Amino acid sequence: MSDMSTDSAGAGIDLSQFYAVFFEEAGENLDRMEQLLLAIDVTAADDEELNAIFRCAHSIKGGAATFGFADVAELTHQMETLLDKLRRHELQATPAMVDVLLQSGDALRSQLGRHQGAGGEVVDTTELLANIRAFTSGKAPVAAAAQPQPAEGLVSVPAAPVAVAAAPAVDDDVPVTLSGERILELTLGPLDKPELAASIVELFKEIEGLGTIEPIDGGMAQEGMRRFRVTTGSSDADLLDLFGFHVAREQCVLRPFAGERVAPGYGFHPGAPGSPVQEECKGYGFFDDAPGAPGSAPAAAAPAPAAAKPTAKPAEKAPAAALEAATIRVSVEKVDQLINLMGELVITQAMLAQNSRSIDPVLYQSMVSGLTALDRNTRDLQEAVMSIRMIPMQTVFSRFPRMLRDLASKLGKKVELVTVGEATELDKGLVEKITDPLTHLVRNSCDHGIELPAERLAKGKPETGTITLAASHQGGSIVIEVKDDGKGLSREKLIKKARERGIDAPDTMSDADVWALIFAPGFSTAEVVTDVSGRGVGMDVVKKNIAALGGTVEIDSAEGYGMRVAVRLPLTLAIMDGMSVGVGEEVYILPLSSVVESFQVGENIVKTIGGNGRVVEVREEFMPVLELERLFEVPRHGDESPGGIMVVIEAEGGRVALLVDELLGQQQVVVKNLEANYRKVDDISGATIMGDGRVALILDVGSLVRRSRH
Amino acid sequence: MHSILAVDDSASMRQMVSFTLKSAGYKVTEAVDGQDAYDKAAMGGFDLVLTDQNMPNLDGIGLTRKLRDHPNFKTTPILILTTESSDQMKQAGRAAGATGWLVKPFDPVRLIEVIRKVVR
Repeated sequence: MSDMSTDSAGAGIDLSQFYAVFFEEAGENLDRMEQLLLAIDVTAADDEELNAIFRCAHSIKGGAATFGFADVAELTHQMETLLDKLRRHELQATPAMVDVLLQSGDALRSQLGRHQGAGGEVVDTTELLANIRAFTSGKAPVAAAAQPQPAEGLVSVPAAPVAVAAAPAVDDDVPVTLSGERILELTLGPLDKPELAASIVELFKEIEGLGTIEPIDGGMAQEGMRRFRVTTGSSDADLLDLFGFHVAREQCVLRPFAGERVAPGYGFHPGAPGSPVQEECKGYGFFDDAPGAPGSAPAAAAPAPAAAKPTAKPAEKAPAAALEAATIRVSVEKVDQLINLMGELVITQAMLAQNSRSIDPVLYQSMVSGLTALDRNTRDLQEAVMSIRMIPMQTVFSRFPRMLRDLASKLGKKVELVTVGEATELDKGLVEKITDPLTHLVRNSCDHGIELPAERLAKGKPETGTITLAASHQGGSIVIEVKDDGKGLSREKLIKKARERGIDAPDTMSDADVWALIFAPGFSTAEVVTDVSGRGVGMDVVKKNIAALGGTVEIDSAEGYGMRVAVRLPLTLAIMDGMSVGVGEEVYILPLSSVVESFQVGENIVKTIGGNGRVVEVREEFMPVLELERLFEVPRHGDESPGGIMVVIEAEGGRVALLVDELLGQQQVVVKNLEANYRKVDDISGATIMGDGRVALILDVGSLVRRSRH
Repeated sequence: MHSILAVDDSASMRQMVSFTLKSAGYKVTEAVDGQDAYDKAAMGGFDLVLTDQNMPNLDGIGLTRKLRDHPNFKTTPILILTTESSDQMKQAGRAAGATGWLVKPFDPVRLIEVIRKVVR
């Protein structure tokens, strides 16, 4: 950049380009704040915790104020004021404060969501603000009489709404007239039509008692911006609502009037190194005698020369832009594209490997060893690329402390959440999909597992129940357990309930089968919840959702001691263990996890029932037969022998025998989405490219089982 | 081209400050907190340090104090960029050896205006 460009400096920078980073960062800060608030022990909060919470609010406020999200800035400002008093020990934290701060966090999330275009109602924070302010002022007479200096820099944030003109319960920072009216600075803009500002001025003429308005700088701050001095008894919220008729709310900023000095928020300390010639504060300041200050008076003894040449320096040798060293943010699309390309590479490599089998290894020794190396490198690369999408379970677990806290207090229960293995990593796609089922399980544990405190004490258990969330890697899967030390499942009651519902439940059933009853569709209803040991609503849905991810659910329980639900999931959705089967000239892939067994079709074991339904008897159990050849209308040329192998698959609690020509083998396949590349096809969940370059369709076993039901 | 060390724990603020300064023709090095800034500053070659006050590890005033103890930073201007506008905070900044202060939120034009006063 040439020195010429210096003159066009900074002006007219479009701040919206930083919004995305701000939103992400604010979201992270909110999450952190929530975690800290949940973890805090109000009676003995240590300084570091309080500081950390303060910093979260502070950070959001700084960004919000800079990027012009006045509502967010306003709320965080109040939170910050309260938190500041807490960290200075001018106030003692109470559980009620924590509640209000948590609610404020929720409100901030909605506000930020709205600014991001997620829609939703304007968040009414009047009550929250009032509560926070009550905590801040009511209980802190110590600091209440803070110096009412009309702060030199901009106080950055609109003062809180104040109901009545006369009520001097005003933010310390806001200048107040003798009659109790507040003096505010109103900034409008950037406005497309500057004349809109005139409509605002009109408002004050039209509405009696609203107050007075007069332009600052002749009403002209800079291009498209207008500034006014407002004296009013109305609250900020009321004013902003009124102004909203003429100017977008985002374009109105109210802040305490900073005095005639037009303090724009900086200053130099007289005599400080590098201070410029002393001037009246403009919202910044230099200290005259500080190093580097722009010399208050060249004659002064201060070591003012400053900036120009501090020391002999390797001029422009400073490292350019050494940003955050540890991580970089990349859009998910880029990662997905990388994974996709990786998939292509794996296929190409498999093709090469297959085609090279016929090569004479003696003649083409270096070629063969090259291909071997390629095979190894591809596998390593694949692993490394897949790991990019892996995110720790922490992201899922972190939502539960808050949820449990709310739920437990609603139910009058005492519950402690223990999490184990937060660092265990899982594919991002799976993380998103597992959150709901897990939420369901945790809620059930709290709602129906953990007993009321009195009941627990009567049973000789500790008053506070424990729910444990544990994640761990086991082989190629991740296992997530939800455990509680509540009342557990009752074998007798479950069997009784099952019989009432017409489910066949012999007394000889194994425990595992009894527990599995709660997955039966329609079994767990509200009635069951109250009568039986009460595992809640929709366990069948939980099981179905997990099965759709290629996972399984196991239950273990001991009556009176609690229950454990283990969810086992594949590590990623992008790669699947599959079994390939041949039908005619087509190849289909079955998810290996759904294959139960396969056998040769003997004479007369397939029976026709009804019209054209066919069943096969396997160990005294009849199951429907689906002929893939007919189902997919596979063309058959020549005279290959038609189907001779049955593959039994299981999904959604049902089994089906598929009739195929041959079993081709097991392999890992890279799953390609068919909908994204073509369209949704019945009974097909995706496609993959085989080692020989042919496309094979992956069967949707759930859909096949459903098809056989009618 | 003058070189500025911009210190802020907030990525969005850092980006904005950095972008503003770069558009004005300055060379910018970013640091994520006081400690990081100090480590980077030790490499030398900065004409100005612009730092946030409230940061983990080492805050702006702490950073100023440490930098002033470093032989290369006896006269380099150090501006503390902060939402803290109380006199107390300013005096603490002064005592630590800061050149001046600038209150957030600021607008890009003003940031450049202030910087031009000390970096010439």
